[in-house]
Amino acid sequence: MADTTQSPDQIDIELRSSIDRSLRHPVMFFFTSGAVWLAIGVLLGLIASAKKHMPEFLSGCGCFEAGKVDAAHMNALIYGWGAQAAFGVIIWLMARLSRKECRSSGVILLGGHLWNLGVMIGVGLILAGKGSGVPWMEFPAFVWLLLIPSYIMILIWSLVQFQIRDAGHVYISQWYLLAAILWFPWIAITSVLFVYHFEGHPLMATAIAAWFKSALFLLFFLPTALASAYYLAPKVSGRPVYSYSLAIFGFWALAVIGPWAGMQKLAGAPIPQFLPYVGAAAMILIALPAVLVGANIINTIRGNGEAVAQSPSLRFTIAGVISFILFGVLSAVLHTASSLKITQFSYTGYGLDILTLYGVFSFCAFGAIYFIVPRITRREWLSRRFISWHFFLSLYGISAIVCCAIVGGYFQGEGIEAWNQSFLEAASRAGSYGWGVTLAWFFILISNLFFCLHLLLMWARLGRRSSHPTLLKASHAESPHGPEGEVDNYGTANGPAETSAH
Amino acid sequence: MSFKAFIIGLTLTFGLPWVITIVLPYSFMRTLETVNYAGIEEDGGEGPYLPKRDGRIKEGSEIYGQEGCYYCHSQLIRPTYAGSDIWRKDWGGLAKTLDHHDTRRETNAFDYQDEAVAHIGISRVGPDLSNFGRRVTNALTLGGITPEEWVLNHLYNPRAKKGYRGAEDQNLYKKSVCPSKPSLFKTVDASMARAGALKVDAPEGKAIVPTDRARALASYLISLKKDTLHQKLPKALDYGPKTEKAE
Amino acid sequence: MDHTRDNPLKRFSAFWIALLMIGLFGIACIILRPLTHARQETAYMIKGEERLQIRDTIDRAQKAALEAKKIDDEAVSSFAKTLNKAPSAGAMAVPGAAK
Repeated sequence: MADTTQSPDQIDIELRSSIDRSLRHPVMFFFTSGAVWLAIGVLLGLIASAKKHMPEFLSGCGCFEAGKVDAAHMNALIYGWGAQAAFGVIIWLMARLSRKECRSSGVILLGGHLWNLGVMIGVGLILAGKGSGVPWMEFPAFVWLLLIPSYIMILIWSLVQFQIRDAGHVYISQWYLLAAILWFPWIAITSVLFVYHFEGHPLMATAIAAWFKSALFLLFFLPTALASAYYLAPKVSGRPVYSYSLAIFGFWALAVIGPWAGMQKLAGAPIPQFLPYVGAAAMILIALPAVLVGANIINTIRGNGEAVAQSPSLRFTIAGVISFILFGVLSAVLHTASSLKITQFSYTGYGLDILTLYGVFSFCAFGAIYFIVPRITRREWLSRRFISWHFFLSLYGISAIVCCAIVGGYFQGEGIEAWNQSFLEAASRAGSYGWGVTLAWFFILISNLFFCLHLLLMWARLGRRSSHPTLLKASHAESPHGPEGEVDNYGTANGPAETSAH
Repeated sequence: MSFKAFIIGLTLTFGLPWVITIVLPYSFMRTLETVNYAGIEEDGGEGPYLPKRDGRIKEGSEIYGQEGCYYCHSQLIRPTYAGSDIWRKDWGGLAKTLDHHDTRRETNAFDYQDEAVAHIGISRVGPDLSNFGRRVTNALTLGGITPEEWVLNHLYNPRAKKGYRGAEDQNLYKKSVCPSKPSLFKTVDASMARAGALKVDAPEGKAIVPTDRARALASYLISLKKDTLHQKLPKALDYGPKTEKAE
Repeated sequence: MDHTRDNPLKRFSAFWIALLMIGLFGIACIILRPLTHARQETAYMIKGEERLQIRDTIDRAQKAALEAKKIDDEAVSSFAKTLNKAPSAGAMAVPGAAK
């Protein structure tokens, strides 16, 4: 009676559905726990920024002293939010693209809890004044003994899935994911060993930490963001990637240029002179992959402005890609020898860091999260408004950071370089830009409270049951997805789902 | 592209910069050759150049890192092609006076000894600290309070109305955004405080005393004297403009 | 579906290959460690030579002056006996104690 042969589409839908089911616990865990750490990190960032122009802000609270709160802010953002959002995206995307169910969800989830434990201990110890004093590696050295094994527990399965995938086309996203999964332990283990365990010159410890800082974005967060963008842009707009060979070229451009960057933070320091300038050169050349990859992805969705306006995933992703192009251009301009003098010790460095971590990576991660969560929870997002507010407030925030920290930092740096002028003059310039940065963090905090709330509601299984994704524009009379209805995406007891999976 | 080709490519594109910017420079900097003076007649000194530092460097440097001071302060006087730090008043050293020569110099590779990590710094919200110890000591040569007392007062509350030497100091520090670090101090009964109490306002019958952590940090900050006042640079390291010999 | 790449053996070997690739540069660091940890001759060590020589002279001179044999065995042993004796009410007045 029932038709026993399934069409290839049916098989595909069921495979995708089983992949999503197998990964639902770890992926939701990473996204929700990441979102909470994001809120914490942004709040700490607000406090840290406020203390730079209002030093008596929260001065009664011993645990939020400036310096410590700066370190806690960065580390909560990077390891609490950034890493976990990346883990969620990587494991889901690699499983989907390799078309393999995950059999190790339990181990991944355990790894995720251990990672969280490590981050909690680390951030707590930083605020207690027991950090390591190394920028972006302020966790005490022993915390890495928890972080690195949990990393392996979380991501090794994605490497296995890639190797046992069926023969055929390898998506550009898979190459980016593979690279990100391998690059992180390469840079982390190297840095932890050289900075904490090998005894050497203190300047080289600082130099290697600076290299780690740069490589963490260029070789882990960025490839993860690009993997997601290269998946979502064609997927949501319904067209193939504009040029696969350009995509491959862009990948190798990043692989060749990225690992050289980082030591430009030590320009003028008594280390081998080529080191900072090779770093600066790499930061200038990074404009090449930025522009090529950006153009590739934008061309993929060009002409389909409707999709960008409608789809939250695509909108966030494209904003992330545009931030990447912007980062490439700014980096090229700000790392020339004459600019480097001026910006080396100003807010500009911080502004670029936040542009990369938030503007590029976090926006792409938000895009991925808005796409993935409905698929693994089998519910749609509750509120178009929450998503809109999340998007616009974040956009205002990141634009304010670009203007105040990056551009303002340039003027601050000019003031400091003008050695005839009193330092107080330059410092008071910084005060005004500091207010701008604090305001930006305030916007970003509100936007992330919307995001966190929305995500927690989805985690609590309170999402909408619907076959229609939550889109950003009011629904047309004729939705491209067909009439609205109470349809279970993955089929009911009466038979498989009728709509094509998205 | 096959998996194997990809892995080989990734390893090579990562490995080359890894060797050239991490491993080799690290090993080179470990075995830095000493720079020697050319002899007493020529150079004013003999043997290897070793900037001496006086204070709780290792401990203080660790505390400096833990307190996050490097987020707002740098410790690097860059050569002139990389920045104008050396020209700024009192950053690279003291200007020439009747009592001493021009003591300014750039940071050199021997400056961060005994520290685990060189706190180059992330930004200059506050001034460069390479010669902070020199500035404080120099400003207080006429007596009043000791450099250590000054630094401890500053750490407790940079904007405090008491504890500083005079009105000029007070005016300058009114606008400081340096954070107060009350966690480095403790409040004890006034009778227990003895001479270590800070000259700041404290609750009735109590006094503020520095913890050992504060003392270590203050000692480290006062040790930051990276200039040539008491230790001339050997010719090999002296990149300053050639001037006539004094006297 | 092509089953040749997804079998338990392939999964097993893929796992270990993955682990090896992850640890690649960590292992490289450890292998290269001896190369990066050559013995250094710092300025501190060079200046220390003179200081250590002086120290050595002093040590030897002190050792010669303080020959243990010369210390009076008698004096030492009688002192030891006094210390070992059980404490007794001494002749010293203790403030506050009943006479």
